[in-house]
Amino acid sequence: MTDPVSILVYIFIFPGFLFLAAYALFLAYLDRKIAARMQHRVGPPFFQPLADFIKMLGKEVINPAGVDWRLFDAIPLVALAAVMTAFLYVPVTGASPLSFPGDLVVVLYLMALPTMSLFLMGWLSRNIFSAIGGIRAVTQLFIYEVPFFLALLTPAIMAGSWSISEIVAWQQQNLWIVFFQPIGFIVALIGLQAKLERTPFDIPEAETEIVAGPWTELTGRRLAVMDLTLDISLVVGSALIAALFLGGPALPWTLNPAWLNSAAGFLLFLIKTLAVLLVISSIKVATGRIRIDQLNDIGWKYIASAALVQVGIVLVINYLWVAP
Amino acid sequence: MPEVVVSIGPQHPALKEPVNFKVIADGEKIVRLELDLSYNHRGIEKAAEQRNFIRVLPLLERVCGICSHSHATAFAKGVEEIMGLEIPPRARYIRTIIAELERMHSHLLWLGVAAHEIGFNTLFMWTWRDRETVQDTLEEMSGNRVHYGMNEIGGVRRDLTPAQVAAALERLPVLEERIRQYVGMVNSEETMLIRFRGVGKMSREEALKYGAVGPTARASGVDYDVRRDDPYLAYAEIPWNVVTDTHGDVYGRTRVRIGELWESTQIVRHCLENLPESPIRIDTPKNAPKGEILSRYEAPRGELAHFIRTNGTDRVERVDIRTPTLANWTSVAACLVNQNIADIPVIVAAIDPCLSCTSRLTVAKKDDRGSR
Amino acid sequence: MIKPVTQETIIERMRAFGTVEQVRKNRIQVRTIPDKLHDAITTSQAMLGFDRLVTISTVDNGETFELLYHLIGPLRFIMSLSVELPRNQATITTVSDILPPAGIYERQIHDLFGIVFEGHPGLKKIILNEDWPENEHPLRKDWKPGPDTFYGGIRVERRQTDA
Repeated sequence: MTDPVSILVYIFIFPGFLFLAAYALFLAYLDRKIAARMQHRVGPPFFQPLADFIKMLGKEVINPAGVDWRLFDAIPLVALAAVMTAFLYVPVTGASPLSFPGDLVVVLYLMALPTMSLFLMGWLSRNIFSAIGGIRAVTQLFIYEVPFFLALLTPAIMAGSWSISEIVAWQQQNLWIVFFQPIGFIVALIGLQAKLERTPFDIPEAETEIVAGPWTELTGRRLAVMDLTLDISLVVGSALIAALFLGGPALPWTLNPAWLNSAAGFLLFLIKTLAVLLVISSIKVATGRIRIDQLNDIGWKYIASAALVQVGIVLVINYLWVAP
Repeated sequence: MPEVVVSIGPQHPALKEPVNFKVIADGEKIVRLELDLSYNHRGIEKAAEQRNFIRVLPLLERVCGICSHSHATAFAKGVEEIMGLEIPPRARYIRTIIAELERMHSHLLWLGVAAHEIGFNTLFMWTWRDRETVQDTLEEMSGNRVHYGMNEIGGVRRDLTPAQVAAALERLPVLEERIRQYVGMVNSEETMLIRFRGVGKMSREEALKYGAVGPTARASGVDYDVRRDDPYLAYAEIPWNVVTDTHGDVYGRTRVRIGELWESTQIVRHCLENLPESPIRIDTPKNAPKGEILSRYEAPRGELAHFIRTNGTDRVERVDIRTPTLANWTSVAACLVNQNIADIPVIVAAIDPCLSCTSRLTVAKKDDRGSR
Repeated sequence: MIKPVTQETIIERMRAFGTVEQVRKNRIQVRTIPDKLHDAITTSQAMLGFDRLVTISTVDNGETFELLYHLIGPLRFIMSLSVELPRNQATITTVSDILPPAGIYERQIHDLFGIVFEGHPGLKKIILNEDWPENEHPLRKDWKPGPDTFYGGIRVERRQTDA
């Protein structure tokens, strides 16, 4: 798959830009519907996120006084571009054609860019609530990134490679990594919840305390783009966890016609990401928001230590049983 | 960070009604607090001096939406005492039923609001769903979800039919079961516990010194409830308990309010099952004799005091309303110092502020110039 | 207090400060003068157990303002201490040093009636908006809103073309 046409199709149509946006909107709808049903409400109809996106593109864009509007326009686009690029390296129907050794690290780096852009928006907004929200976003980034990275790098250690597609291939020949690393799986889920800034970690956007934090001055198409970025991060995050821990889009055996293999892989991808979404939505519904200093406490005392323990276990297993 | 003024209000998602807290903060800790309560000022006390007794009751009911029956009943029972009247037992029981139903809907509303302040939207949705059950009962009995209009000087205006009584009794077991669930939830849900425990702590001495009333004071161990200490309506004839707690923080206040919810269901059940047969109102003279009274009532938020002075006509000379929220503000300002900014909504919500009650006056001019 | 305090004791003690009258079964009214008010409150707090202030009510009696301090204690009696202030010289010392909740009530009364409380830590506007004009005290009986005074808020001008 190295000819330019199929690479362009991969990037822009499937599973790139268009499919990604559509799937992100679908997962956003599912998330809201699950939350609503758990809260004894009806919930939105299935095209609601798409309707919200289109409506917001048409709304008036307000530039606060004294703010550089070109930066305000550019920063959400940078965030969107970052997460979309990250998705290119995640296996959707089998190995990604753009994979290279080390793409796990690139994906993790790109996933951190939306939080940085939120911080910049908060800082540039020139109001106290956004500034506090931006600072909280970056503080939260420091607290959860360490355990999150550790939890996602342990599958790499076990599989002996830094490329996501090769980790998936390793799981195809052995067991799913979640059976070796349950602690890492849980830490990764918690870290994903914190990265997506959902309860109990939606501290930067704490509606009842600081209005909307760094999101306060985002209006119109900028808000549409940032919302889409957050939804796409949900897809990328769950796809990453599904690929690294749950075996990704690969059956334990290879089916003969290549297209059947791809189709089966795609189906597995959908099922596994939906399973991760179900868990994440349940966490969001069942908890309240904690304070930033309490997150500091919990993050360093329990979550980071759990991740370190997991790394230790993986090194031991590697040394004793897995062939180098 | 040097000192920063974070202005919470007058428009803010944490506040249900406009108030302006100018919080002077150092990083995330609060140093000082300045208060401005003027946003809901509507001119009720002055307007009440110009209306006769029939017209003043609907005005006083509209001091506040959630504690509307409290204001109307406190005024009505005050004037009745000046006139020296004793209202019939059925009227007293009906007033008690509506009062306790109002307490239930107010506490359920508060529980939802407190959960929303900490971002726990699921509990918010569930408690407000149960609040709808109470509102359905109130609507059946009085025709309205708030501002019931049940009181008049000398009794109540509407009677309860046996069908309404039966329907209300049927809804009670559902509420009781859900309240038991909330008790379990408050005691075991981790995120609620860590946001509520230790936040806004007020010791018993501080509660007494700053004059806190209602569930805010009872959560710090001050055993004071107007329904027991100065009985009125039917409370002396019904077995019920005062709920206190010793924690003194927002967690204690939550426990007190949920305990009161439970007590209210029992009181309502007792009243509905034992409703005496009698007329519901008596005839009253048009003018009240000269006199004055301090009429106290236990509103959902605490002790409500109406000071009424009459002068022999059919209007009051002065009605001075001291709402429980006004009494609690001093204690809020005192226990907010040295807490985090993130806790301000939780602490303010824990005293259950009702700013419509607190600031009551403005002036509306009827001329052709639009608003002032 | 070793011996139990009864109604007679209360009436007797407070007689030292002014006239005492028992209006209804558990209400006691004491009329006193502004100079003795502080001592009256301190005595009732310390000796008789009336340590909670319910509210401070004001009535405009034409020539005078009457301030009523309602105190309650664990004895189920309500004691109202009333003082009268002449209208043109409405000042009195504050009681917020012995009764902290009084601070907020005094601020409110100052806004609405114009009574000045000497020694109060901060008599800023609390219940009227910040741009309310000075010296307009709404709850006085002789106050009517002036037709051309601007009472703060947002000015709305009606245009000729509006219906």
